Amino acid sequence: MPVVQLQDVRKVYDTKVAVDRMSFAIEPGTIFGLLGPNGSGKTSSIRMTIGITVPDSGTVRLFDQPFTRTALHRVGYLPEERGLYKKMKVIDQLIFLGELHGLDAATATRRAHTWCERMEITEAIPKKTEELSKGMQQKIQFISTLLHDPDLVIMDEPFSGLDPVNGKLLEETLIDLRRQGKAILFSTHRMDQAERLCDSITLISRGHVVLAGSMREIKQDYPRNRVHLAFDGPSSFLHHPSVESFESHPGHTDIKLRDVPGTLSPDAQPLLAAAVHSGARISRFEIVEPTLEEIFIEKVGNTGLERVEESKVYA
Amino acid sequence: MHNVWLIARREYLERIRTKSFMVMTILIPVLMVGGIVGSLLMSTRTKSASHIAVVSQDQQLALDLQHELETGKDSKMLVDVISPPSARTRNTLDTEIADKQLDGYLWITPATSATARPNFTWTPRSVGDIVTKENITSALRPVLMRERLAHQGMVASEVDALMQPVAVDTTQAGKSTDTTSAFFGAYILFFLMYFVIMLYGMNVARSIIEEKTSRIFEVLLATIRPEEMMAGKVIGVGSVGLTQIAIWLITAVVLTSTSLVSSFAGGNVHLTISAAQIAFFIVYFLLGFLLYSSIAAALGAMTNSEQELQQLNMFLVMPLAICVFALGVVVNNPSGTMSTVLSLIPFCTPLLMYMRISLSMPPAWQIALSIVLMLGTIYAILWVASRIYRVGILMYGKKPNLPEIMRWLRYS
Repeated sequence: MPVVQLQDVRKVYDTKVAVDRMSFAIEPGTIFGLLGPNGSGKTSSIRMTIGITVPDSGTVRLFDQPFTRTALHRVGYLPEERGLYKKMKVIDQLIFLGELHGLDAATATRRAHTWCERMEITEAIPKKTEELSKGMQQKIQFISTLLHDPDLVIMDEPFSGLDPVNGKLLEETLIDLRRQGKAILFSTHRMDQAERLCDSITLISRGHVVLAGSMREIKQDYPRNRVHLAFDGPSSFLHHPSVESFESHPGHTDIKLRDVPGTLSPDAQPLLAAAVHSGARISRFEIVEPTLEEIFIEKVGNTGLERVEESKVYA
Repeated sequence: MHNVWLIARREYLERIRTKSFMVMTILIPVLMVGGIVGSLLMSTRTKSASHIAVVSQDQQLALDLQHELETGKDSKMLVDVISPPSARTRNTLDTEIADKQLDGYLWITPATSATARPNFTWTPRSVGDIVTKENITSALRPVLMRERLAHQGMVASEVDALMQPVAVDTTQAGKSTDTTSAFFGAYILFFLMYFVIMLYGMNVARSIIEEKTSRIFEVLLATIRPEEMMAGKVIGVGSVGLTQIAIWLITAVVLTSTSLVSSFAGGNVHLTISAAQIAFFIVYFLLGFLLYSSIAAALGAMTNSEQELQQLNMFLVMPLAICVFALGVVVNNPSGTMSTVLSLIPFCTPLLMYMRISLSMPPAWQIALSIVLMLGTIYAILWVASRIYRVGILMYGKKPNLPEIMRWLRYS
């Protein structure tokens, strides 16, 4: 039973198609990554998932029911543009946000204290938000998202702007939530993070899905045609016919093998044999699977990552 | 409904606790009382206590003037009479002025014919001493009149009787209250309403902008509807305004009943605000606040910063300013056609209809019509504002133009 299910969702603003034929589903106990360059429709999709905006066509289902606002009490949402009431005390703020998600004041207070202890920011509880450091505010923001123990956690670019310590903390928290059986949706344009955390991903570009599936399936579909190599001695073997291109770095060389028609991954053994035969001393010879980033670039194009940030907010 | 309550409660509590609320609550009545007392003091003529000399051939005229200036109700001067003057008088007086013994002298040259007035020449020590000059001018009129009447053969007692000031008592039909203070009360409440609607309307807009700049609204929108958010804000901010007014009114009633203020302000100032006046005040304040704050909410949702809001301020300020300009029309003729029409325009109703009610009760159908018209307008504005709000609140970066705003209204 998927926690979230989008089916053929489409949203158009004036003449610009923000999202088109968007479908994905998230199972409980999994982390789902919504990946894509800036302006590709990630935020638009997320906003439609939680009813901030309504799709022009297509359906959104939450907890296996057609979308209703009451379901939102089971959702924790961390928007890309984060913010808190600056002049409000941390504890009042957390209670207020907890109450908006259906908690009573007593429960909200108790949980706020528990979370602050867990995040090691108990000293911040009586303070005003504006008095806190940026890192502390980020922690408060996580707490406010998770205070009502949501079954679905949605985070839009949660890692952007985080210091490494809080980034690590958030990662651990997400993994812990997955263990508790929560469904987690997060969007990012940082592929290394997605690769580490996600069970499944959907890659979108210009409002369209370009790649979707579980991380394992996606990787298996891509050829293992890269070799990381470190050696001493002659380098003539790099011109072996099975090598399509290579890049020399201090200490190691990256090789891309030529695709062989009819097979998914080319055989690297002839190259290794040739290297040994040429007299080079091999200290490392590793066949690596493509990184998500490489897949992403292949699918979206190199420009995708660096595309100028368009007006990324649509109503 | 629960969400509206949560938003309103937060808005209310956070605002009540601020220092600026405390300061405003204390400062505005102080400024208002100060302004009223100040204008009262200005209107009752300032008294001069100068030491002057009056030089005249006509001793009777000089003595009359001395009497008026020393004991009259407008002045408390010390007056020397020199009559008749000798050749050295002018030099002596000039020396005395230079020695600062005299503040000035009035030289009266007798009239050349029987029907003409004498000539008066005032030589002050300081040309800036306007008050003394005005006192002398106003004292001369009754003195001259008295003298002329005496010339015509009237007896002194008859002249005094004729010169008695006239007292006119005003009572509103069917009421025994003092209308001056009733008008006074209405006037104060009019400006109170004007002020609070403007102030708290702007506060609604500001509070929305604050949430836009702090980006908190998107977290809120994940559980509540924009309409609930807007309603909560308007109710919360409006309650703060009502609280403030309540504090002021209670303080005013307590202070005036202890006659502390009345003795302070000269003896005859006391506020008469009837229960009906307060009831209508609250009704029209609520309607007016609802109308203007929903406009403000839309303005706040359209803009990204206080500076941008300033440019759109006129939509709030203009209709209110028109009400203040129209106040003169209403006060002069509360039941006239012009007043009736103006007070039925929903944007002016809260202030002007309230003023009419305070001055002379308009027909019940007009009050009913004004409330119906206001409710209709408020509904329409809320409809438009909530749509602008819903879309506008998610827009940041650029300011929308009019065609864009028109498109927002059509979004579902």
